[in-house]
Order: sequence, then C-alpha cells, then structure tokens
Amino acid sequence: MDLTLGPDQEAIRDSIRGFLDARLPLARVRAVAASAPGVDDVAWREAAGLGWFALALPESAGGAGWGVPEEVLLFVELGRALAPGPWLGTLLAAHAGVPGARDGSRRVAVVDDPGDALGAAGRLDGELAGVVDAGGADGFLVLGARAARWVERGASGLSLAAAPSMDPTRTLGRLRFAGVVAAALDAEPTALRRRATVLAAAEAAGVAERTLEMSVAYAKVRQQFGRPIGAFQAVKHRCADMAVRAEAARSAVTWAAVALRDGEGDVARHAHVAKALATGAALANAGDNVQNHGGIGYTWEADPHLYLKRAWLLEHAFGSRTAHLDALAAGWRAA
Amino acid sequence: MELRFSPDEEAFRAEARAWLAANAPPGGARPRGEDLRARREFDLGWQRRLFAAGWAGIAWPREYGGRGATLMEQLIWYEEYARAGAPEITTTFVGLNHAGPTLVACGSEEQKAYHLPRILRGDVVWCQGFSEPNAGSDLAGLQTRAVIEGDHLVVTGQKIWTSFAHVAEFQELLVRTDPEAPRHKGITWVICPMDSPGIDIRPITTLTGGHDFCEVFYDAVKIPLANVVGKLNDGWRVAMATLSFERGTAFLSEQVRLARRIEELVAVARRVSGPRGQARAIDDDEIARRLALAAAEVDAMRAMSYRSISLAARTGVPGAEASVIRLFFSELVQRIDVLAMDILGAAAVETIGGAGEEAGRWTELYLTGLSQTIGGGTKDIQRNIIGDRFLGLPR
Repeated sequence: MDLTLGPDQEAIRDSIRGFLDARLPLARVRAVAASAPGVDDVAWREAAGLGWFALALPESAGGAGWGVPEEVLLFVELGRALAPGPWLGTLLAAHAGVPGARDGSRRVAVVDDPGDALGAAGRLDGELAGVVDAGGADGFLVLGARAARWVERGASGLSLAAAPSMDPTRTLGRLRFAGVVAAALDAEPTALRRRATVLAAAEAAGVAERTLEMSVAYAKVRQQFGRPIGAFQAVKHRCADMAVRAEAARSAVTWAAVALRDGEGDVARHAHVAKALATGAALANAGDNVQNHGGIGYTWEADPHLYLKRAWLLEHAFGSRTAHLDALAAGWRAA
Repeated sequence: MELRFSPDEEAFRAEARAWLAANAPPGGARPRGEDLRARREFDLGWQRRLFAAGWAGIAWPREYGGRGATLMEQLIWYEEYARAGAPEITTTFVGLNHAGPTLVACGSEEQKAYHLPRILRGDVVWCQGFSEPNAGSDLAGLQTRAVIEGDHLVVTGQKIWTSFAHVAEFQELLVRTDPEAPRHKGITWVICPMDSPGIDIRPITTLTGGHDFCEVFYDAVKIPLANVVGKLNDGWRVAMATLSFERGTAFLSEQVRLARRIEELVAVARRVSGPRGQARAIDDDEIARRLALAAAEVDAMRAMSYRSISLAARTGVPGAEASVIRLFFSELVQRIDVLAMDILGAAAVETIGGAGEEAGRWTELYLTGLSQTIGGGTKDIQRNIIGDRFLGLPR
C-alpha cells in the first residue's frame, strides 16, 4: 500500500510542470485562447514529442509503458496551468488507436454519447452540443454505449458550429451529423469513458490545488488593517477548508487511478467518487479563490475567474456531480 | 503507487482478523450507561486479553511491551478492530493514545519502566488534566499553580472536561510552575496520582445525560518532582507532543466504522418512509444523493488516510496533513449524523436516545457526535492549525 509519488513519478510531474511553466504561463494561455484555433501549435508539438499522449501506451506501441496514475499527474498539471487544447481527446484517441493521435499530428475532441443519441450503427445522425475543444480538432472520437468510432472533421454530412464558451480558454462546438459514416475503432467505450472520467477529475483536482495555492500566496502578502489578511481567521479558515477539499479530491483521484490501472475493487465506483468529489472541490475552491482576492478577484485581468470557469466546464464533462452521485445510489434504490 | 498490501501486511491482517473474530466480545457485551466502575473493569479486562495475546501497543517499542509494528500495520490493526466491532476504546483512551505515547517520546527511563507496562497490561486508567474553565482553546492560558516545596510540587487550582477522572489512577496534568515566564514557557507536564490527598472530583452531566465528564479541584496536592515528564517549565512542548498523538493516526481507521454506518443507514432508508411521503426514504432524490456523497467522502477519507500513512512510512514522521484529515473526519461524522436524523424524520425526536430502539441509537450518535468538533481541539482550532502549520499562513 503506497499512495505517494515515487522518484519516477516526481520526475514526470516536475518535467510536465516545468514545461507548462515555461511554455504556457497564464499570459500565454490568454493569448492562445484569444486566437483561433485556441491551441499553441509549437507547445503542442513539443508536448507530443515529449510523449504526453503515449505515457500509458505499451512500449510495444511506442509508448512509455506507464499507467493511469501517471496520466493523472499530467492532467493535474494541465488543470493547474489551465492549458488550452484537446489534450484529453487526443490522449483517448491514442488509446483507441486513431492514427496520428499518439504523436499529436491529429488533434481529437471527444463526442461523449453514452445514450447513443447519434445512433448505434455505423452511420451517425443527430445533433450534439457542448463538444469541448471542437474548435481546434481535426476529428472526433465518438464514444457511444457499446462502440467507439472515429469521424474526420471534413467527413461528408458533418457540420460544426462554434458555440459560445463560458470558459474562454476552451472552445465548445455544436455538431450535426447527417448520415455521417463513422469508422469503428477496436476499443472499448466504457473503459475509455472511465479513463476520461478519472482524468477529468484529475484536471479538476489540479484546479482545486492551484486555487488553494493562489489564495494562500495572496493572503500572505495582501495587507488590510495593518496585517496580512491570512492572519484573520475568516480568511485563514476559508483557506483551511480549501486545503481539506483539495486533499480529499487528490486522494480520491489517486485511489481511482491506481484501482483502474490494477483492476482493483469496484473501479466504476471509484471513478464516480473521484469525479463527484474533485469537481465539487474545484468549484468550491475556485469560488473561494475569487472571494479571497476581493475586488481584484472580480476583474477579468486577474486569473481567479478563469479557474472557476474551467471548474464549471469540467463539471459537465463526462457526467455532472448529480449524475455520478445518482450512479452511486442506483444500487440502493433498486427494489 | 500501489493499493495492494505486501504479503507481510496481508499476513498481519489475516492474523489480526482471525484473532479478533475468535476473541472480540460481542457488541452489547460492554456495560453501558452510568456504572462507570463496571465499564472500567470491562475495558481493563479486554485490555488484559489484548496484552496477553500480543495485541497491545501495536506500534509501541518492544522494549516497553509493545509489538513494535509499522504504522501501516497499526492502521491495519485499527481497521480490523473496527471491522470486528471490537469494543470502542473509552476509559483506556488517554493511557493508550495520550499518556503512553507521550511517555515513550518524553518520559524518563524510570517513568517508562513503571508506567508503560501498566498501561499496556490493562492495570490502570489514565485521565487528562489539560483544560480549565478559562483555558480551553487558549490552553496556554492555564492557571492551575504548582510551587516547588522540597522534592514535591504543590498543586492548587481546577481542571475541567476530564473524562473518567473518578475511575482513573493517574492523570496527565498541566500546571503553571513559573508565573513570571512567558505563557508557553512556564508550564509543566506532570503525572498526578488521582488518590493524592486534596483532590476533589465532581461529575458534570453532558448534553446526552451521561456523567463521563468531571471537573477536578486541587487543594495543595503534593506530587513528587520525579513525576515531571520532560523538564520543569518545558510542559508546553510535551503537551504538543501529546496532542499530536491525538490528532495523529488513531482516528484514521474510523473510516471503517463510518463505512459500516453508511451501510446501516442505507438499510434504514430502505425501510422507513420518505420525507415527501414516499414509501421508502431512499426513493427521495435528496436523501439518496446525500447518502451517495457521504459514501464518497468516506471513500475519500480512506484514501486520505492511506496517503498520509504511506507518506509517514516514507519520511518517518506523521505529516501535517493529519490535521486536515482530522477536520474532514469530524465534520463528515456530523454530516452523516444529521443525515440519519433527517432519514428517521419525526421518529428521531420521539426518543430520549439509547441503544434499545432504532431511532434512539441514531439520536444518541447524533448527540455524542457533537463533541467531535470540540474535543481534542475545536474545529476552529483545527482550522488555525491547518492554516498556520500546513499552509504557512501568518499568525
């Protein structure tokens, strides 16, 4: 039993954090997000070259042979940095064997369709809103109930409309499928969705962690009444609560990741727990971080609002808290 | 990262589970209510059995009668203990979880040699003498005086919130030995024999109606200087060590108890009617989601505990995150208790509390649970500790 990071994992985390600090600081994130397609081409290619999308692919498939826990390290860092781009979709596509995903030459957004609203057959019909990162995507990984399929951006019958996005660092799209021919992938959609759920939870845990750090740093330097505001219990205790949420979220996500890697216990349950708690922590901490920054926290120029908006985006990716809690309770409610 | 236990740890768990299954007294065997003498004798008898079988002081050093096991094995033991429904540790708590570890860390060889085996063997009960009427959260403001006369301390003053004082042999007592020194510098941690002349113990009735609590008055009580633990006027440092044990690892296994409580509560929610007239409370969306969230948080508590223990196993010392887990746990318990009250509905108030009836049991849990965010440092003090020591915020 060991839920701490070993030396290899610390090295992975440090390398990712160092790269993001250097290439995608928040000023750069804002600049990238303000221009189409909302992805930093150079940083993207370098990150792909560092093997980010192949972290957990087997070495025989050109990967590094790590697992979900190391992918969690990546997504915690992406959440901390608010890195823009279709990281999750491309990583999932690499697992699903979409050509060009592993080396990042194809950018992929996920169309999460657990209820087969687009149909279960090889041809897709219907409309789906809220597709994250649709703007910069070269194609779409469609996760149905029983099949994972691949659709090129230019596929006949597919139309893409940009939708407004509360989170300015991520694009949202509305996709209309009219008899679009989709290529079946040799991948299990439930496993991919579960991995995506845990990685989205990791991104949320990163938001919860980073907003705690921002609040603590600000509370140490911002002076009012002749003292740093962090000396006041009203602020100190709010920061303590943020620490509790961040710890709980990170621990639940870590547990889920290791369980998923090893097939230990009820992996579906662990994923529900991780996603429900991590998004709850991200939302609450990002909101408190706005509050702790006072007037400056209410401005566009300051960063706290970006984290809060990312937290809301993550809340609706791969199942809301309500959906995950209902899934946990489903067994109890049976007759 | 690894969720599986090592073969040694699994073997330890299997051994603990088998022994507890064969030896733990059945739930309900423990005397309840007002006969504190009977509760004390039951607890000490159980401790003697644990000691005889080698299960006392799991992580205490072998030289003092402990098992010398690892922190992870200690956690496994507590888990199996809770899983088996073994007796909750009450009258023996201060000896096993406060005074004992404090003596191991700060006591003299004579003190260790005399007291540690007696605690482990189940010979004695200890109580705590820290809080005073005017020194609760602000513990360093304590005023109970001790002056040196020859080779004795002479103690005069008052302590309060002392559980089981009337059935204890010894007390971990904080006294002010230097009133001129800065507050934190003039305190001494001393072992007080509870049969010393001049001690007057008066029970306090708690909001549950129980009488575990006492106030203790000291009128020129003579305590040998040899009973000072650590150095004279160094008691604050020793007391912080004591409290770190309370805030440390003992409660980490409580997630096992909480997980079982959730299961029982789900069963209740499937049996009683819902708040909006549903046939079953579990059919109410709000109740179902609150139960699901509580279950998720208990899972998180387990993950946090293991993360903390595996960190401590790596670094050798319990980390400051233990105070984070302690706060999370105490408030989680209370959320679950309130949820139970909501699930039971009006039945929860048609009772005076007690184990004999379903609603009474949950009402009693709710009432006793109110102490979770007071004892051992209020939740406000816990938040100060997290802010100051874990986050490094200014004081």
